[in-house]
Amino acid sequence: MKILVAVKQVPERDAQIRVAGDGKWIDEGDLSYTINEPDAYALEEALQLKEKNGGEVVVMCAGPDRVLSTLREALAKGADRAIHIEADDLGERDTLGVAQILADAVKEEAPDLILTGLQSDDLGLGQTGVVLAALLGIPHATIIMQVEKTEAGLTVKRELEDGWFQQVEMPLPALLTIQSGGNKLRYATLMGIKKAKTKETKTVTAAAAAGSRAITLERVYLPEKQKKTEMLTGTPAEIAAKLVEKLKFEVRVI
Amino acid sequence: MSGVLVVLEQRGGTWNRMSFEALAAGQQLAAKLGVECSAAVVGQAVQPLVAELAGKKLAKVLAVEHVLLKEYTADGYVLALEQVVKQEAPAYVVFPHTYQVRDFAPALATKFKQVLISDVIAMQDGSAGLVFVRQLLQGKLNADYKQTGEGPCFVSVQAGTFRAEAVEAGTAAAVTVTPALTAEQIRNKPGELFRESAQTVDLSAAPVIVSVGRGIGEQDNISIVEELATALGAELAASRPICDNGWLPMARQVGSSGQTVSPKLYLAVGISGAIQHLVGMKGSKAVIAINKDENAPIFEVSDYGVVGDLFEIVPALTKAVLAAKGA
Amino acid sequence: MVDVMLVAVAGALGKGANSPTSLLMMATLAEPVHFSWVEMALLVACVVASGGMFFWRFGPILRNILDSKKDVDFSLRPVGRRVWEFVWEVLCQAKVIKERPLPGLAHAFVFWGFLAFALVSLNHFATGLRLGFLSPDGYVGRFYFVFAGVWALLVAVSIAGLFVRRFFVRPVWLGKKVSYESGFIAFLIFTLMVTYLAAFFVSDDGVVVKMLWWTHTLALLVFLPLIPHTKHLHLVLSPLTVFLKRDGFAKIPPLHGDEDFGLSAGKDITQLISLQAYSCVECGRCTEHCPASTTGKVLNPKEIILGMRGYLNELGPQSEVGLLAESRPESAFGTTLSMEAAFECTTCGSCEYQCPVGIQHLPIIIGLRRGATNTGAWEDTYGTKLFLALEKNGNALGLSAMERDKFVTKQGFPIFDGTQEYCLWLGCMGGYDPKGREIIADFARVMDYLGTTFGVLKKEKCTGDPARRLGNDLVFQNLAEFGLKALETAKVQKIVAICPHCVRTISNDWREFGIAPEIEHHSEFMARHKDRLPKQGAAVGAAGETIVYHDPCYLGRYRDVYEAPREIVTMAGTLVEAPRSHEKSFCCGAGGGLAFLGEETGERVSHVRAAELAGTGAQVVGTACPFCNTMFRDALSEMETRPQLLDIAQLTARALPEKQAAGNGVSTTGN
Repeated sequence: MKILVAVKQVPERDAQIRVAGDGKWIDEGDLSYTINEPDAYALEEALQLKEKNGGEVVVMCAGPDRVLSTLREALAKGADRAIHIEADDLGERDTLGVAQILADAVKEEAPDLILTGLQSDDLGLGQTGVVLAALLGIPHATIIMQVEKTEAGLTVKRELEDGWFQQVEMPLPALLTIQSGGNKLRYATLMGIKKAKTKETKTVTAAAAAGSRAITLERVYLPEKQKKTEMLTGTPAEIAAKLVEKLKFEVRVI
Repeated sequence: MSGVLVVLEQRGGTWNRMSFEALAAGQQLAAKLGVECSAAVVGQAVQPLVAELAGKKLAKVLAVEHVLLKEYTADGYVLALEQVVKQEAPAYVVFPHTYQVRDFAPALATKFKQVLISDVIAMQDGSAGLVFVRQLLQGKLNADYKQTGEGPCFVSVQAGTFRAEAVEAGTAAAVTVTPALTAEQIRNKPGELFRESAQTVDLSAAPVIVSVGRGIGEQDNISIVEELATALGAELAASRPICDNGWLPMARQVGSSGQTVSPKLYLAVGISGAIQHLVGMKGSKAVIAINKDENAPIFEVSDYGVVGDLFEIVPALTKAVLAAKGA
Repeated sequence: MVDVMLVAVAGALGKGANSPTSLLMMATLAEPVHFSWVEMALLVACVVASGGMFFWRFGPILRNILDSKKDVDFSLRPVGRRVWEFVWEVLCQAKVIKERPLPGLAHAFVFWGFLAFALVSLNHFATGLRLGFLSPDGYVGRFYFVFAGVWALLVAVSIAGLFVRRFFVRPVWLGKKVSYESGFIAFLIFTLMVTYLAAFFVSDDGVVVKMLWWTHTLALLVFLPLIPHTKHLHLVLSPLTVFLKRDGFAKIPPLHGDEDFGLSAGKDITQLISLQAYSCVECGRCTEHCPASTTGKVLNPKEIILGMRGYLNELGPQSEVGLLAESRPESAFGTTLSMEAAFECTTCGSCEYQCPVGIQHLPIIIGLRRGATNTGAWEDTYGTKLFLALEKNGNALGLSAMERDKFVTKQGFPIFDGTQEYCLWLGCMGGYDPKGREIIADFARVMDYLGTTFGVLKKEKCTGDPARRLGNDLVFQNLAEFGLKALETAKVQKIVAICPHCVRTISNDWREFGIAPEIEHHSEFMARHKDRLPKQGAAVGAAGETIVYHDPCYLGRYRDVYEAPREIVTMAGTLVEAPRSHEKSFCCGAGGGLAFLGEETGERVSHVRAAELAGTGAQVVGTACPFCNTMFRDALSEMETRPQLLDIAQLTARALPEKQAAGNGVSTTGN
C-alpha cells in the first residue's frame, strides 16, 4: 500500500505570538516551526500501517524552504520519500487554493491512501483533508482513531462526540484525517536522522498560481480576555453558585 | 441569492443540542442582514423534528428526506445538501460546528468553489463589512474572516457561542425535499455507533475530571469528592500521594508518573500543584482549583480559584450542580 | 613493623633468636639438593601442560579483547595520572582497603605477598632445573627468603580469613551461589604458603623437603590454568585495566561514524569494555552501593558486567545479535542484559566509583541505553513523552517556554547582555518547578546581597542531561548546540547554576560539540564568598538547627565537590552527617533521567534515602540539587514528623537582611 501523508509546518505551540505590523498575520521573525501535531499522528499511523502491511510512506509538505526541516524529521521517523511543494505564498491562498496545489502533486503519485491531521494548530480550519479528497474525487472520513486494512479497502474507527465511536468501511483510494492521540508518537532517533540523509526529497513547484480566494483573513488580533486566575469568594453556597455559573456558561460542561 | 439557511443536525430522530445554537446564530445573522432565515433537517422520517421547528421564527423548514439519508454519510449529505443549496440559493449556510459537520461541510463548500468558515465565535460588522471571528493558534489569537467568493457563504459556529434559549419563536411552514440519490453514489459504509467499554480507566479521554489531592486528609473523606464527580458526570482522579496511600487505584493518578490528561474541565480539590502533577494536567482547557493555601502553585494554572475549606465548598458545589442539572 | 613480624616468625620457627640479625642468620630455607633427569623432565612436562592449559583458556579471551572494536578516542595521555592511579590503586591497593578495610587489607596482604613471591617462585622452578639463582645460604638469598616468609605468613592468615568470610560469613554481595572454585583456589594459595613456610623447618636432603617442593610446584601449576575462567583472571588483567581505563569519571565517549549508535550489538563493544568485562572480580562492591540493586530493581551492575562477559564468550565481539534483545533464557547473559535493567540506572556512579579493578560501569550502561534509544528499540511511554517534550518544548517538564518568560519577568531578572559578571542558568527546575524557582529566587537574593551582577538568558533550553543519560544522542546534541549558541551569542563568560546536572552536562558533556563554558555550582560560588555572607545559629554561638547534608551524586562523585556545600551548611546551623555521605552518598533516585520515567518497581530510592536522612534526627535536610529536593519533598511528605527541606541557597538566604526580601520576594538587581 502506498500511503501519502500530507503534513503542515506550523509555529511551535508555545511560541510567543506578536501581531505583525500590517495586522494581517503574526510576526514570523522570531518564530520556530514544527510539524503540526495532528499531522505527526497521521505520520505515525502511516508508519504503523506500513509496518503491518508493507508498502511505502511518502510525506508531502507545501511551503517555503523552512519546511524541509519538517520533511527531514518525517524521513527520520521512518517515511521513505519526501515531496516538497515549493510555495512561498501559502498566505495568499485559502483552503481551496492550498488543497488544489496538494491535489496537483498527489495526482502524480497516485497513492492508495492519503492521511493528514484533522486540523492545523495554527489556522485550525480543519478542512484541507476533506477538500483535498473532494478535489481528487475520492471518499474520505474524518477524526479517525484507528485504521485497519481489509480485503475490500479499509475499516476505520471514527470518533464522534460524547465518547461515541463508529466503524466505517470504505474503499480505496481514500483520504483520512487523523485524530491526535490515537497512537503513541515515536521519538526521532539518531539512526533515523542518519538514514534520512540517504532518502530522496523531491521538490516540485506549486502548479497553480494563487488565484482569487473564496475567503480572506482580514486581520488578526490578540483576544481581549487573557487567561488569568479569577478568584471566587463568598460563603460556600455563594461560591458554589458562582462556580455553577462558570461551569454552565464559561466552561460549558453542564 | 439571499437569506440564511441553517442546517440542523439530528441523529435517529434526536437533535444534536448544538443545532439550536446554530439556529439562534442563523436568526441573528438574518436579522443583521435584514433577510429571512430558513432551516433544513436532513435524514429519513424527520417529520416530528420538523414539526418542532414549526414554532420557531423561520421562513420555512425543509425536511430533506431520503431513505439513503437514514444514516449519516458524507457522500449522502453532500449530494443532498448540494441540491438543496442550489435550489434555495441562500446567501449564507450556517451549521453547528459538530464532528459530523466537520466531516461533510468542507466538501459541500468545495462543490460551490467556496471555503467553509469554520468554528466561528462571533459575527461582527467591521469596516470591511460583515466578518466572522475565528480563533487561531489554540485561542492565542483571534482572526476576522470575510467571504470574498461569489457563491453562498458557509459558516459553522462553535459550541456555546450562541445560546439555544435565544432562538426566536414564531411560525414556519414545512416543506419536504426529496433529493435525487442513488446507492452507488455513497461510497462509505457506516457501522453501528458504539462506546468503549469502561473497564479500564482512561482518564485521557475524559471530558471532565475531578481530581483529589493531599488536602482531603484521609481516605474516608474521598467520598465527598466522589459525589461531586458523579454529579458532574466526571471521572475521579488523584495526585500521587493519594494513590501512594492506596486510597484510590494507581490507574487514577494524574501526573508525571501517572496519566497525562487534557479534559475540558479539570477540577482540582485539595491539590497544591507540585510540578509532577502540573505536567500531567496542564493541557486542560479549563482548571478550577479549590485549596486552603492561597499560595498553592495550582492557582497559577487555574482559570478559577477558590481559597477555602474544601469540606464546606465541595458539598455545597455538589448540591448546586445537582440543582442546576435538575433544572 | 617488619621487625615485629620477624620476631614473630622467629618464635614460630622455634629456632630461638636473641636479635633480629641472628634470627636472619638462623632461619634457613631448605631446598632439595638434587633433581634427577627424570624429575626435571617431569617438571618441564608439568609446566608445559599447565602453561598450555592456561593459554588454551586465556587465548580466546585475549582474542575477544583484541578483536573488539578499537577505542577511537583512546589516548595514554596524561600518562602521569595513569601511573599515579596505577601506583595508588594497584600497588598500594588504596581503593580496595579504603572501601572495605578488613577484607581489603587481607586482600592487600595476599597481593603484596604475591609480588614478594614472584622472585621466590621463579627461583623455585629454576632450582628444579638445577638453575637456582638465589642461594638460601647467601646473604641476599637468606634475607629474601625470610622476607618472603613473612609475607607467606601474612598471605596464609589473610587467605584463611577471606575463606572464612566467603564461606561462613557470606556477605550477600558475593552472590547467592557459593563458588567452590574460589574455595579451591584459596586452598591452593594456602598450600603454597604452608609448603613454603614448612621448608624453613626441614633439612635440605630429606624426602620431606622434596615432597614440600613438589606439592608447592603442583599447587602453583594447578592454580595457573584455573585463572582464565574464574574471577582470578583479575590477577592478570586488572592491573592493565586500571592503567588503561578511560580518562574521567562516568565519561560518555563520543560516537564515531554513521554506524555507531552506542552499544547495540557485540560489534559495538570496544576493547576497553571487553578488557573491563573480563577483569571483573565479582566482589559485588558495585551491587552493594547500587541504589537500584538495593531497592529491589532488576538492575545489578555486576551482572551487567558479567552479562557483557557472557555475551563475549558466547557470541564474540563481532556479533550482530542485540545486546539487549528480548529474553534469551538459554544464554548466560540473557537475563542480566535486559532493557529493564539498563533503564533502571540512576547514573549515580557509585558502582564505577567503588570498583577496585577499574571497571567503568557508566559508559557501559549508558552505552547500552544509547544502543537502544538511538535506534528506537527502547519503547517507553514516559521516555517517549520526555523526548518529545525535549524536542518540542526544550524542557524536560514539557511546559511552555512562556512559563519561564513569565517567571523571569515576575522576578525581575535582567536578561544577560554582556555587562553582567555571571549568567545565571535557571535550568528546567529553576525555570519551571515551583520549588526550584524558590531556590533560584533565593540564590538571586544572595547574589544581590553580595553585589554580584548577573543576568539570565533570554531563551534557555534544557542542557540535555536526561536525554544524554537515557542515550538519546540526537536530542542531546540539538539541545547542546542550541545552548552553546545561546551562550556564544550572549557573550557569556561565566555561568552559575543551582543544578549539579546542568553543571556537569555543560562543563563536561557539551565539550563534544564545542568549548565547554566556565560554569560553577552555586555551592562553590557561595563558599568562595562565605566570609561576606551572614552566619546563623551555632555559627554565631546561638542555638541553631541541626542540618543533615545530602551529597548529590552529580556534585560529589561527579564533580568532587564535598566541602563547599558543607561550609554553607556550617554557617547556617550544625552540620550532621548521614550514615552514607561524601563519596558513599546514596542517590535520591532522580538521576539518569529517571525522575521523568514511570513508577519504580520495589522500594523507592528516594524513600530509602529520605528515611536515612530523617533518621539522623536533624531538624533540616539540606540539599544542593533541585532534583534531590523534589524527590525528598515527595518522600518526606509521607512521614509523620518530618524535617524541613531546604536548599543551601535557601539556608543562606534566610539569614539575609529583611529589606532584600522587599516586594514579595521579587529580586532587585544591581543593574
